[in-house]
Amino acid sequence: MNCEGQLMTQAPPSNPNPGLFKRNPPIAGEAEAIEAAKNGDAEAFSKLYTLHKRRVYTLCLRMLGNVSEAEDMTQEAFLHLFRKLGSFRGESAFSTWLHRLTVNLVLMQLRKKGLNLVSLEETINPSEEDAPKRDFGAHDPVLTGSVDRVALERAVASLPPGYRMVFVLHDVEGFEHNEIATMLDCSTGNSKSQLHKARLRLRELLRNPIQSPEPDVTAEATK
Amino acid sequence: MSEPGEINFDNLKPEEFENYLPELFASGNGKVSEDPRLQKLYAAHPDCLALVRDLETIAETARSLFEPVEDPRDEVWTNIQSKLREQSEHPSNGNAEEEAEDYLPGRLPEPD
Repeated sequence: MNCEGQLMTQAPPSNPNPGLFKRNPPIAGEAEAIEAAKNGDAEAFSKLYTLHKRRVYTLCLRMLGNVSEAEDMTQEAFLHLFRKLGSFRGESAFSTWLHRLTVNLVLMQLRKKGLNLVSLEETINPSEEDAPKRDFGAHDPVLTGSVDRVALERAVASLPPGYRMVFVLHDVEGFEHNEIATMLDCSTGNSKSQLHKARLRLRELLRNPIQSPEPDVTAEATK
Repeated sequence: MSEPGEINFDNLKPEEFENYLPELFASGNGKVSEDPRLQKLYAAHPDCLALVRDLETIAETARSLFEPVEDPRDEVWTNIQSKLREQSEHPSNGNAEEEAEDYLPGRLPEPD
């Protein structure tokens, strides 16, 4: 798997995506701030930071599972935004475009770190032994029809990097499988399969929370 | 493997059924637990229905995580300001290709 191509170093394409546009409706005053920031208005860039810092940071935190790295990546994302803002054409929601830019940066960062690259590949192309086990013969204790948001956040943070990546991108951020496949340089079938395995693993973790270690993410969230 | 649309699910074994789950969930035709093609299977194998409902619950709850809950520390913005100022004062320190597309940032004000 090689994602060190141009996708990772260029600003994201601003293809229209009705689903994400619906999920990321334009924010009042955002369009004016974008245009002003494009023309070098520092105040406007500051406003864009204020509007989007939380979402960008949360995305980084979920993908990286580490507060310090998430802060560094948030910083990188906005520095990159500053340089690439001129290429935003407004064909998709700005937050969608910024999300994709951030995701690309995070993926590039993960691939720069050898260890994470290996674990991502392992779970994108997992061996059978890595896949969550199902035992249909035994009685299956089920979730009670609802999942606590904090418990899910904690379980997500303890997923292997590859599972976590696909789950966050699809189920949390709302990217489509074909978009994820492009970002991760894998097939759409692989993306679907990884998402399913991630959900199975989460089910296990939520039914047996003792397996789920206290992650950095939630430790910070409770401060 | 056949596409889910071509399959008669009624007599599938649970482990066979699970092979189709990634595609069934991805097809986006409403809830998998309510798919009429699967009701006989669910009646014969309640664990399959329980599994599907759990996975639906996880996916639905995940959507609620979209709304972010945490802000980065103030130092992040301070660092951004500092880096941008540095780049405008010493443009040769950055990536030359990217700098060609940059504009001078000036002094960035504090965010609201």
